[in-house]
Amino acid sequence: MAARAKRYALVIDARKCINCKACVVACRAENGVPLGKSRNWINEEIRGEYPRLLATFEPEQCHHCQDPACVRVCPTGASRQRPDGVVVINQSDCVGCRYCMIACPYDARFFREDSGVVEKCDLCASRLDRGELPACVETCPSKLRVFGDMNDPSSDIAKLLATRQYRVKKEEAGTNPRIFYLL
Amino acid sequence: MDRRKFLKVAAGGAAGAGVATTGFLLTTAGEKPASVVARREVPTTCEMCVNKCSMIAVVEDGVIKKLNPNPENPKSRGMLCARGNAGIQQVYDPSRLKRPLIRVGARGEGKWRPASWEEAFDFAAQKLAAVKEKYGPQGSLWSSTESFQESFFKSLGLAFGSPNVERHPTLCLASVNLAYSLTYGTMPSFDLQNAKYIIISGANRLESFITPDTMDLIQSATDRKARLIYLDPRFTVTAAKADEWYPIKPGTDLAFILAMLRVIVEEDRFDKEFVSTYCVGFEQLAEHVKPFTPEWAAFETEIPAKEIVRIAREFSDAAPRAVYYAGRRSSWYRDDFSMRRAQAILNAIVGSWDRQGGMVPNGKVELGELLFLPWDDPVAPRADEMDKNFPLAAKGDGAYLTLRENVLAGTPYPVKAWMVHKQDPMNMLPDQAKTIRMIEQMDFIGVIDIQMSDTAWYADVIFPESTFLERQDPVEILPGIWPVVVMRQPVIPPLHDTKPTLEIVQGLAKRLNLSQYFDYTIEQWVHEQVKDLPVNLPLEHLKQHGVYVPPGFPKYGTTLKPEHRFVTKSGKIELFSERLKEAGYDPLPVYQSPQQPPAGKLRLILGRRAYITQANSTNNPWLSSFQPENDLWLHPTVAENMGIQDGDKVEVSSSVGTVRLKSRVTQEIRPDCVFMLHGYGKRSKWQRLVYGVGAADAQILETAWDKVSGGAAFHETFVKVRKV
Amino acid sequence: MKTIEWGFLIVSYLFLGGLSAGLFFASGLAALLQKNEQSGTDRIARFGALLAPLPVAVGCLLLVFDLGKWYRFYKLFLHFEWTSPMSIGAWLLLAFSVVSLLCAYAWVPQEWRERFFAALPPRLAFLRRVNRDFSAWRKPLALIGLPMAVGVGIYTGVLLGAVQSRPFWNTNLVAQMFLFSALSSGCAALILTIIFSKGSPEVAELRLLYMLDICFLALEFFIVVPYMIHGQLSVQAVRESLHLILGGPFTVVFWVFFLGLGLLLPLGIEIRETMPALLRNGRFHYNKHLTAVTAVLVLSGGFLLRYVFVFAGQMSAFK
Ligand SMILES: Nc1nc2c(c(=O)[nH]1)N[C@H]1C(S)=C(S)[C@@H](COP(=O)(O)OP(=O)(O)OC[C@H]3O[C@@H](n4cnc5c(=O)[nH]c(N)nc54)[C@H](O)[C@@H]3O)O[C@H]1N2
Ligand SMILES: Nc1nc2c(c(=O)[nH]1)N[C@H]1C(S)=C(S)[C@@H](COP(=O)(O)OP(=O)(O)OC[C@H]3O[C@@H](n4cnc5c(=O)[nH]c(N)nc54)[C@H](O)[C@@H]3O)O[C@H]1N2
Ligand code: SF4
Ligand code: SF4
Ligand code: SF4
Ligand code: SF4
Ligand code: SF4
Ligand SMILES: [Mo]
Repeated sequence: MAARAKRYALVIDARKCINCKACVVACRAENGVPLGKSRNWINEEIRGEYPRLLATFEPEQCHHCQDPACVRVCPTGASRQRPDGVVVINQSDCVGCRYCMIACPYDARFFREDSGVVEKCDLCASRLDRGELPACVETCPSKLRVFGDMNDPSSDIAKLLATRQYRVKKEEAGTNPRIFYLL
Repeated sequence: MDRRKFLKVAAGGAAGAGVATTGFLLTTAGEKPASVVARREVPTTCEMCVNKCSMIAVVEDGVIKKLNPNPENPKSRGMLCARGNAGIQQVYDPSRLKRPLIRVGARGEGKWRPASWEEAFDFAAQKLAAVKEKYGPQGSLWSSTESFQESFFKSLGLAFGSPNVERHPTLCLASVNLAYSLTYGTMPSFDLQNAKYIIISGANRLESFITPDTMDLIQSATDRKARLIYLDPRFTVTAAKADEWYPIKPGTDLAFILAMLRVIVEEDRFDKEFVSTYCVGFEQLAEHVKPFTPEWAAFETEIPAKEIVRIAREFSDAAPRAVYYAGRRSSWYRDDFSMRRAQAILNAIVGSWDRQGGMVPNGKVELGELLFLPWDDPVAPRADEMDKNFPLAAKGDGAYLTLRENVLAGTPYPVKAWMVHKQDPMNMLPDQAKTIRMIEQMDFIGVIDIQMSDTAWYADVIFPESTFLERQDPVEILPGIWPVVVMRQPVIPPLHDTKPTLEIVQGLAKRLNLSQYFDYTIEQWVHEQVKDLPVNLPLEHLKQHGVYVPPGFPKYGTTLKPEHRFVTKSGKIELFSERLKEAGYDPLPVYQSPQQPPAGKLRLILGRRAYITQANSTNNPWLSSFQPENDLWLHPTVAENMGIQDGDKVEVSSSVGTVRLKSRVTQEIRPDCVFMLHGYGKRSKWQRLVYGVGAADAQILETAWDKVSGGAAFHETFVKVRKV
Repeated sequence: MKTIEWGFLIVSYLFLGGLSAGLFFASGLAALLQKNEQSGTDRIARFGALLAPLPVAVGCLLLVFDLGKWYRFYKLFLHFEWTSPMSIGAWLLLAFSVVSLLCAYAWVPQEWRERFFAALPPRLAFLRRVNRDFSAWRKPLALIGLPMAVGVGIYTGVLLGAVQSRPFWNTNLVAQMFLFSALSSGCAALILTIIFSKGSPEVAELRLLYMLDICFLALEFFIVVPYMIHGQLSVQAVRESLHLILGGPFTVVFWVFFLGLGLLLPLGIEIRETMPALLRNGRFHYNKHLTAVTAVLVLSGGFLLRYVFVFAGQMSAFK
């Protein structure tokens, strides 16, 4: 049994998104995200002219990049990447300089005025540690997020990545993101 | 497989989705479990809307931290929508009702004094007794909307002797229920999971959640498992995901369906064997639909004739895995019943009945019943005069709009006391000014709610109910293709001085000398309901799992035996309805071209958004953050003509009222319609997020109803819009 | 959730840090060039050394108050993250501050020192032990401090330039631009100090500062130009981000106020003032008001450069 390093990631089938915001509220509840801020969000776009309209809804959150710009610039090491790939913020080390927010190409982070630290999606690290799925993954009526260990060939996520076409966002920013959007 | 956990964790915490750690379940409020466990998981049932999804509440140190979906319920499929997730806020809402209140100022002034339960009960009982004394028990009105505790409330009204137990369906789904009941003898479910062709008239399933249809439809539509044809004057999320969206001219869906019927009949595309075995009245139908050519329908609906023909052909080709999906809030137009009837008929003639991918009669589970003393049936006739006005409609639900007319007119007799349970008539009914007049002529109004609704704002006494996360409710069966039994149990003890409906009913009953009819506890009630469920330790099972899923479902074809008797007059599926004819209605759906808004006016239409429930969750900060105030959808060309820019404040007026709100200039609506979301512009100051914010549609909607079902015709209001 | 996280506090901090670096640089250079007491370099070296610690101190305060909670700033010094320009910068600033303070002390005139220590209350009398003449340390400290000053000057630019995800910043030219702007603002500040200090300025002093400033401004200008060219030739996102100063919201500030009034105009004036003296060995004219205005323009230019880059950079993003 060769121990392969885990690499958690998300596959998102954005076509299935109905912009219902269940994921946003679930995250708010799970992680105590203050009102007005959000760890995840839906990019919505309506194109065309009546009656030929097209709508796209694209869920997004921290991409848990392989080469996270946020981690690189963090002066205190508060932002770091766990061995399983999850990028987390250690709140007690964070000085609230917001350099990481500026460095993140996805604007995935926000500043909390109350505690003076920066916050973002941590893939519900505490749920993962209990063996549960991230809250947004679990609650979504469309079940459009697939979470798992992409290094485990038997996982759903690895199978999807092997068989389906996908894209990542803002590849040019060079952070090597780990949210894969199915085409 | 346990879908909730993706990993196996060594510790016991992950044993299963529904393991509550302590025996807290049916204990009464305040009683602490012996060992306090820091983290508990309690399965229960959502009540943020009518869908009753199963959830697992995570409680840490007595505080509800998270509501997780419970995948064991095949209806909610491991889903919890935004509103379900925000259920926590309902409990911890600082402005919720925390103790009984008795009005001290004028009605609607918002001045209250806190009262003890004793006082509140005494006060209400005395008022109710006074009305009974003066006007008889029929002088009281008991109105409520669907909930697990609703039957206790209705029972109190009936035991009190009032025939006037009035429910919400005539503002919601009365016309569709009646149309299917008259055709099939029952309201079936739609097997969207297996359907191949789905046509929907404005049932905006991807925003107005109905489980499991919403989830099925997402999968069908996005995986292209089914072809979805969607008709709606608005570009909704359902429209966005549909294969074809037609912004149909409002009120003309019946023309579309009649033309489809004609194509299918003319081209011999109906299921002959099914029709001859199970249906009556096909000949009359065939004759009836002859004039409705696709060209004619194209003119009426603004959907091209060749598309209508193609859709009719594709639909019949796909049958029986083809359905014309019924809406739920079918309270649209004056002839709504006919439109829903036509849908039912269309589904019948292609044989999409009781087969995979078609309509399926609802499966049921038998629950036990607690026996209690029966009361005498009320003697007076109903104040809404159902027999005279809507002889075929469901008596038990009443006809709310005619009721209001009658109460205001004082016919057939005065109604002077109004008890309201889990309902907000101020916003539920059109023409709010009229509802206020109805309130004003009442001697007494008592409201059972969890928050200061606009109706509570006008009440004399308010009974605060414990929220759904704080109380034990009766067990409910959710009928459907996959019927389930669900349990709602207290997750935490009540935070405030609140009671469940049963205890409120008992408190009143005691003072009204009706205690003998309510001489039981909720535990006894639930025990009786579940004791015969075919599962080991049924009550324990429900406490631990939150749901009981009977085996053997889905079942198809239980009615597909030539000898099967449908619960209709003929025992068959009635394409042509003798009962309608006898009652003086059209036995087959007759189309009348709807009135169109005169120049300078626009039609106001209604609908839902996924994160707001009716009028009741806009004061929930987590939900209203997505839409802090409502706005008026307006087509760009119309806006331009009126000099209105996106975001401008506009005044919207109808014959019954005027409101002001912001405009939202958008391509997503027909040029002859405007739309606004329900639940804003509240009068209740306790709803601080929406008090005076945005506008209440109820203030401008005019009163009109469907003539067969009595269901409200909510889309018949023409409004004038101008920039202010 | 696109927000502008770094505002005027950071702009000021970057400007003040750069200013200190520039002051120290000019001062150190003058100290090293100094041959004897009267060669015109004395006041430059002294004023520069005395002033250098001040802006950076204020700047650091601003930075600390820009943090989520100011009192957590010390955590910056519990870690060293070699990939983080901010971490490197924090340590660098610390070192630079120490050196520039020492250097300032070495340049404090003896009478000030005596007066200061005489005024000390008895309780603090033990401090008198440091009442010594450190003037011998001036050159060594200048030698140590010069690279640090250059480092600080560069760092204010690297802080932005190292952020690969903001196309507007995504070139190492930003660092150089910031460096030369910092050095030039140091010169300008010294020019101002000298013309407003007691005793009329010596022509040699001003000529040296002008010469330096002309070099720095010219270098800065010749980086702005390749920055634009480089940007235009770069990937689409960078090209698009340049729109922020090519028609976008920062166009006027950049071209008119920063480049025109804050760089080219003072550069022109300075060249006009010094050229005749250099080329024809003519006399160096000195007009107090014009000199002051020029210096203020240079300083404003330095501030505006940082303003434009900090704000526009945050607004730029990959699509
Ligand atoms: N203008 C307009 N009118 C409409 C509609 C529309 O879209 N626009 N929709 C129509 C439809 S389809 C329907 S179904 C009706 C719905 O109309 P209502 O049945 O009035 O539904 P809600 O607006 O949700 O209000 C329900 C009330 O129940 C309270 N409540 C919630 N939970 C509890 C609880 O646990 N216990 C108690 N006691 N109270 C509780 C809420 O606070 C709220 O005041 O409205 C109809 N009327
Ligand atoms: N998120 C959410 N889900 C809910 C509820 C909620 O409040 N919020 N409420 C629940 C309840 S009680 C109900 S009754 C259901 C209601 O759910 P639905 O039955 O889907 O009713 P609405 O959401 O009111 O959608 C009606 C649609 O009909 C369109 N329409 C208007 N006129 C016409 C017409 O002439 N022809 C056609 N084809 N379309 C037309 C409107 O634009 C609107 O989009 O939702 C249930 N689910
Ligand atoms: S819960 Fe799922 S469907 Fe709903 S908005 Fe989030 S991603 Fe989209
Ligand atoms: S998305 Fe942003 S915050 Fe998340 S890992 Fe990548 S760079 Fe860091
Ligand atoms: S804000 Fe916190 S996490 Fe972000 S870079 Fe600064 S210290 Fe690191
Ligand atoms: S994974 Fe967890 S933290 Fe991240 S967006 Fe989803 S719910 Fe929020
Ligand atoms: S659809 Fe949403 S609000 Fe309704 S019961 Fe289910 S989770 Fe609760
Ligand atoms: Mo409804």
